[in-house]
Amino acid sequence: MKKYLEIAKTLFKAQIAYRFDVAMTMVFTISKILFAYILWDAVFGQNETVAGFTFPMMFSYYIISSFLYQIEMSDRVSWEVSARIRDGSFSKYMVIPVNPQRYFIAQTLGAMMFYPLFIFASTAAWVVLFRVKLVIACDTAVIAAALIMTVLGLLFMIQLNYLLGILAFRFQDISVFLMIKGNIVAFITGALVPLVLLPRGIVSVMRFFPFYYVTYLPSMLLIGRNKEEALTGIAVLAAWLLLFTILNKYAYSKFRVMYDGVGI
Amino acid sequence: MIRNLRFLLTLFKMKLSRMMVYRLSFFGATFVDGCMFIVLILMFNAIYSQVDSIGGWSRGQATIFLGTFSLLNAISMTFYFFGVVGIPGKIKSGELDHYLTKPINPLLRLTFENIDPGSAPLIPLSIGIIAYGVSLQNMTSSPGTFILYFVFIFLMAVLFYDMQVILRTIPFFVISATSIEKLEGTVIELCMRVPGVLFKGMFKVLFYFILPYGLMATIPVQIITNSASGIMIAVSAAVVVLFTALAQWFWRFGLKHYKSAGS
Repeated sequence: MKKYLEIAKTLFKAQIAYRFDVAMTMVFTISKILFAYILWDAVFGQNETVAGFTFPMMFSYYIISSFLYQIEMSDRVSWEVSARIRDGSFSKYMVIPVNPQRYFIAQTLGAMMFYPLFIFASTAAWVVLFRVKLVIACDTAVIAAALIMTVLGLLFMIQLNYLLGILAFRFQDISVFLMIKGNIVAFITGALVPLVLLPRGIVSVMRFFPFYYVTYLPSMLLIGRNKEEALTGIAVLAAWLLLFTILNKYAYSKFRVMYDGVGI
Repeated sequence: MIRNLRFLLTLFKMKLSRMMVYRLSFFGATFVDGCMFIVLILMFNAIYSQVDSIGGWSRGQATIFLGTFSLLNAISMTFYFFGVVGIPGKIKSGELDHYLTKPINPLLRLTFENIDPGSAPLIPLSIGIIAYGVSLQNMTSSPGTFILYFVFIFLMAVLFYDMQVILRTIPFFVISATSIEKLEGTVIELCMRVPGVLFKGMFKVLFYFILPYGLMATIPVQIITNSASGIMIAVSAAVVVLFTALAQWFWRFGLKHYKSAGS
């Protein structure tokens, strides 16, 4: 455990070298917030409520989901793992005394830990700038459930991206697939629109899948909605996390024998 | 002119033979961008399932808007994007030397050396989205309106190209282009999700006249749905002319500052 903590600490410190990237990440948090503000301002100009949301509630949803979406940086795992498999440098993770999956989890968490404060600061700045009243839940149990779900969601996304990354052992170039995945994940996690706007049947099916609980449900909980789904959400997400831990172990042992250790 | 066309044809043949080596990713851009626009259609459908209009725009207009943006993106991806996108790297590495010393316009070669036939299926896909939007809109437009629509599609594709060239000429002065590309990606992402008519005040000025991505799909949609004013059409055409001149001037100005060395 200690060595993984060291890996996380190293990656945390490494982020300090990329100060300009941090600054740009802070500035670009405005993209999703501006999108929400302009689009929903127009929608609520003609409607008092939409799907049970008032404008401050909808804007709060986007502020929170945008924050969660920004700190979820697991995308880099699939890109890095697949790139290293392609260029042959993945060999290093096979010879050093670490479990590659845990290594990448530690690495991503280390990098992720650096950003929340900065993203939170910039998000807060935009909230003040747009002069929108935030709607936030006051129930500590609900906030705790949302935080647990967020952490489980982050871990699940790292597991998913690790699995996609090691598919490069088998398929070599998976970049197209990863780009398509990025678009689909943004939609099904509720980062583009709240999932409650989708037909009820589709939302019911989505509750069986983990993506519903990664961004959408924690955001809804934090604006004081869907409280009754909190415990189910944690249970479903934990089950998916366990499933992916086993699946990743199996996939790695199956596919690693296809690796020839040289650049492709 | 004929010499240039023959040159472009040769570039296309070379690119095609290179692409055939990577058959699996041949239609990569089509899959990625096609998927992105389908997701955006789903997003707008989800919103329109709750409301009848967004800022006075119906579901049909929003669908035509997405189809139009998709069409502009498809034209860009097929013809010039993969060429222009390489400019900062060539400036940084000094590889631009090879383009400047050849007896052909370097920008012409850079623009068209990476024509991507794998992106071409996005064009009929986008026209399909536009046709679907037109059917939803249930409108009557004269053939002249459709011709003007396609004239403006051409003009906006030129404007899209101008913006790509301007932003990728900045590395002549600053070397690194990472943040510029991030800025471009962020603005495009915003403007393909928000119809230009929704921008107000300083945002309208910003996205119509400074980073005119907000203009690109909005004006053709207003033309085809008969909601564009004559003044706005004229102003849009003027913006295209202005940015085309600016792109050409900026490219030449950048070349004068080219250090011709790897860094």
